[in-house]
Amino acid sequence: MEPADLLQLLSDQQARRLRVIENLLRGRRTVSTLYWGLRYDLLYLLDLNKHLPRGGLDAVAHTVVANGWAQWGSDEQPQLRLTSAGVHARDQRPYYQPGDVTAWPLLDLNVARQRLLLAIQVTSEYAHQTNRYYPLAVDQATRQTVRRWFYQVRDPALPAQVAAALTATLATLPPTVAAVTTAGLTGYQQPGQTTQQLADQFAITSWEAYLMHVTAVVAVAQAARDPHHVLAPLLAPTWQSPVTRSAQATLATVMTGTPLDRVAAERHIKPSTVREHLLEAAIMLPPTALPYDRLIPAAARQALLAALPQTIDDWEYTALPAELQERYDFFTFRLLAIWQHKRGVD
Amino acid sequence: MVPLETSLQQLFGFTTFRTGQRAALTALEAGQDTLAVLPTGAGKTLIYQLYGYRHPGCVVIVSPLLALMNDQVDRMHVAGFRHVAAITSLTSYGERQAILQHLGDYRFLFLSPEMLAQAPVLTRLQQVPISLFVIDEAHCIVQWGPDFRPEYLLLGAIRAKLHAPLTLLLTATADHATRHEISKQLRVHPQVVAETVDRPNIFLDVEAVANDAEKQARLLELVTQLQGPGVVYFSSKQLASETATWLRDQTGLPVAAYHAGLASEDRFKIQQQFMQGDLAVICATSAFGMGIDKNDIRYVIHYHLPADLGSYAQEMGRAGRDGQPSVAILLYAAGDERLPQALNQANRPDDVTIQRFYQQPSHFDPAEPGIALLQFYRAHGISEQAVSDLFARRERERAQALARMVAYVHTTTCLRATWLTAFDESAPAHQATCCAPAGQPLDLAALGLKRSVVAPTPAPARDWRQQLTRLFY
Ligand SMILES: [Zn+2]
Repeated sequence: MEPADLLQLLSDQQARRLRVIENLLRGRRTVSTLYWGLRYDLLYLLDLNKHLPRGGLDAVAHTVVANGWAQWGSDEQPQLRLTSAGVHARDQRPYYQPGDVTAWPLLDLNVARQRLLLAIQVTSEYAHQTNRYYPLAVDQATRQTVRRWFYQVRDPALPAQVAAALTATLATLPPTVAAVTTAGLTGYQQPGQTTQQLADQFAITSWEAYLMHVTAVVAVAQAARDPHHVLAPLLAPTWQSPVTRSAQATLATVMTGTPLDRVAAERHIKPSTVREHLLEAAIMLPPTALPYDRLIPAAARQALLAALPQTIDDWEYTALPAELQERYDFFTFRLLAIWQHKRGVD
Repeated sequence: MVPLETSLQQLFGFTTFRTGQRAALTALEAGQDTLAVLPTGAGKTLIYQLYGYRHPGCVVIVSPLLALMNDQVDRMHVAGFRHVAAITSLTSYGERQAILQHLGDYRFLFLSPEMLAQAPVLTRLQQVPISLFVIDEAHCIVQWGPDFRPEYLLLGAIRAKLHAPLTLLLTATADHATRHEISKQLRVHPQVVAETVDRPNIFLDVEAVANDAEKQARLLELVTQLQGPGVVYFSSKQLASETATWLRDQTGLPVAAYHAGLASEDRFKIQQQFMQGDLAVICATSAFGMGIDKNDIRYVIHYHLPADLGSYAQEMGRAGRDGQPSVAILLYAAGDERLPQALNQANRPDDVTIQRFYQQPSHFDPAEPGIALLQFYRAHGISEQAVSDLFARRERERAQALARMVAYVHTTTCLRATWLTAFDESAPAHQATCCAPAGQPLDLAALGLKRSVVAPTPAPARDWRQQLTRLFY
């Protein structure tokens, strides 16, 4: 990531924790990371860079600060806020905006893209009647899945079907996204451009090129939810709930009306884990998925909202009067924040 | 049994062996353990592939380089071989179990030394017939460096546990002392098949420059004038990347960087682009080259001083595999030996560390450089004193190897003679097409290596529909 990329993830309206951005990219799904990801509107970053090492954004953050584009906050956790110079630098050139990213956390992106890229290569080599070539370095499971798919669908009409399916999706995307994505594909006598080469060629950053590629992968996977799509057997199963299996099970039990402590006993998990599961589900799912009315009774809602500041980002549990902290736990407090956020009350 | 040539024809479609291949195969066919010292590009892999084709049982290949092994498996698949697998630390547990369960079905099994040293793997291997036990990069048994694998020291004992199968030791570089040491470690008395390491079609050139700025300027000049494709070696990833960008901007040529820091997807793409001629220059670290099968590399430039003549020969030997005139250029500024010197010392735990480690091994983090090695020695009952002596000896050897590399740079008469003498070989008489030591001019035109026309980079097709069409129709 370069300074230009980080500027896009920061704001002059809101101080943002660098560690949250880092953890989202690395796919560390703690409730705190997810909550702040929600508040920053950056949940789409989840899992986008699993190889990012811990502290992997520190150097670029320091450059951004050194250039006067952002300032560190005084909190114990390093927070960054854009300066007006930073806003100016950010808006100086058009930067790729991926548009509607709500579906991104619903796709197992790394599996989907490996399958898609290998399927394209295999089909392309097949179209040119070559069966001896270097396959993309993907994991064994992907190789097997794609091989199985290929033997099922192998037919002289396959290349045309795959080409038509890809064309149909790419045509709905901005032309640059289609161009960058296509130029990165590997197939017969086309090794494909690396992200860096695409960045150089299209005068964008590597991260932008990658975001475009992800946009296209998500769009193709979206189209492949149609069971008639040629890639459906490969890509449809890569759609998943954004909530872990365990949290889904907890939520299901809660939805039956079981009190939280009984849920814990029934599921043989700690009461605190039940609450974490519910917060995770609240963050990742639409507001209709949780029984908010039951989890935060009207009296609690009114009492807390009366004591809390207008802006959710200014809410601090420990700043609540001791009497309220006594009565309402952190879970209720945080769940209320999520609910307010989801309802657009800010 | 059919003649070797018949098998060669059947398997590869060739009619003649390269020198060395036939001698090694003949020795193996006679049941003789063999040490083959063959230069890079001499087709070492063909020896065990052909032997495995002619004999029942499994060919077990021990290789120290993880990336190389998976690459080998891919290449063998591409070449039409079946029943080939690799077990390395990168192999998932499930996959490993699956391979071990069906071990009898495999004809070629690549293993990293640490996998081979594991009891379950060894036990399974004892139950299947091994037609040939191959140790690739056999010089690693005695060599010292970041790639050093202590498990290589166990290979002698492991081979005995496998009932001493017929053994083929492969290396590109080994002087007489190294050959002796390899045989001793493995407890074999192999027939040695050695081919000259000389590459007569590679012109050797050393150029002394005053400083980094001058070095960079000379590199630009060379890349601009030389007939490609070429490889420039660096000892730092960052410099390889930066220089690739700089060279591309300066020359307009398609230049890319290749190093271990790139994502595997990008390494794959760069490698394939280079193979099919899309790139004029690769700026690489030593991570590049293993498994690169490109015959028409016209030049290899070293921007930094290699640590020894063996690795230098290996890297510059990637030029001119097609036998056509090529050039190996080493750019040297006074003091360049300090970097490999420092690395040599940094790679070795000092006596105080060794002593502290033997007193309280649990206080040390195996992730620290050298500690894993100490753990290994200690676990195998090697005393503190012996370890200390071993490290000291290795460091001395590395220092001597570096001194020979520096002597090459300072050679005033014949570079080829200095190089070959270090490998106990005598050099052919120096002549105009042999070398240009520092201070002597490099005449690219006379060597036929001057780029005639500057080919403009073809503009990539921008229209994505056309590109998709080319992929699928
Ligand atoms: Zn000479």
